Amino acid sequence: MLIIFLRTLITYFTLIVVIRLMGKRQIGEMQPFEFIVTLIIADLACVPMSDVSIPLLYGIVSILALFLIHQVLSLIEQKSLIVKKVISGKPSLVINKDGVDLKELKKNNIGVEDLLESMRTAGYFSLDEVDYAIFESNGKFSAMESEKRQKGNSLPLLLIDDGRIVKRNLGIIKTSESDIKDFLKTENGKVRSVEVLTVDGNGRAYIKERKRKYRIGNFKIGENVAW
Amino acid sequence: MVKSILSAVIVALLLTVGAIYEHSAVKREFTEFSFEVEQVYTIVNEKTAKEKDIYDLQEKWLSKKRRLFMFIPHGEIKEIDLWLTESIKLVRDEKWEDAVSKIEVLKELVEEIPRTFLLTPENIL
Repeated sequence: MLIIFLRTLITYFTLIVVIRLMGKRQIGEMQPFEFIVTLIIADLACVPMSDVSIPLLYGIVSILALFLIHQVLSLIEQKSLIVKKVISGKPSLVINKDGVDLKELKKNNIGVEDLLESMRTAGYFSLDEVDYAIFESNGKFSAMESEKRQKGNSLPLLLIDDGRIVKRNLGIIKTSESDIKDFLKTENGKVRSVEVLTVDGNGRAYIKERKRKYRIGNFKIGENVAW
Repeated sequence: MVKSILSAVIVALLLTVGAIYEHSAVKREFTEFSFEVEQVYTIVNEKTAKEKDIYDLQEKWLSKKRRLFMFIPHGEIKEIDLWLTESIKLVRDEKWEDAVSKIEVLKELVEEIPRTFLLTPENIL
């Protein structure tokens, strides 16, 4: 037991030194390669710590080797933008002046629902409340508020996601597929050509069609909609 | 920046020196021990070995294994311990054929363990 205690003590202090030397980044601000290092380090430290048949040196050498890789990559990353782009990726502009960029979202395996969630976390509830929105290379979400921002009093719901009607939301605002199609006819659009359609409880619709700038429309909401 | 470079250089140096030391220590200890095992193998094969010869070999192994514990998996050390201990009894009882086979396995182990420390594709992959 004392042996495991001493091995844990040595591993713990090795980890403390290594993590301190790696820098001050918080978990949420990690670049992909830093995240990988942290994941592996946890396992590397655990196994030799508790298994006395494995020389402790195996764990310590692996941790030091990872630290070395991390430091070298960080230094190269600071010197070369190309390497930085390859290793850490680049920020992704998912909303621009034209509205939601679905292509960019798909490139990052992010859905419109995920984008709406990130926006809500950042304090924006409608897609037109921001002029620009970016997913940083460390996965964090940043947004630049629109000068014309209108704070609504009702939560927008996603009704069309990449040319497909989101059926589970229809019941909430007591509308039907044909209502949406009729609405789009008045807007000279088709379901298939609409990348994003959100509607809030006041009928305020955000419509983003393929290769077109987004626009705001007025969707007729049924009566007795408590949302 | 200076701290990052310095820490990376120090760790790189530590790992390099450690790797060289480990490689040479394992090679040295096992080369010496392999020679001793070979000698015992010859006398066991000639059926002239005494119990004391194996005890001497075991004694030499005990002093070496203290230094090797840091580098090689403890299971492999234990395996050598077991084969050696079994050989003592077989030599004492003059069961030469069984003793020879035990020492042969020991010989193979002593040659094989340092090979696992070589920088070869099969060891890396």
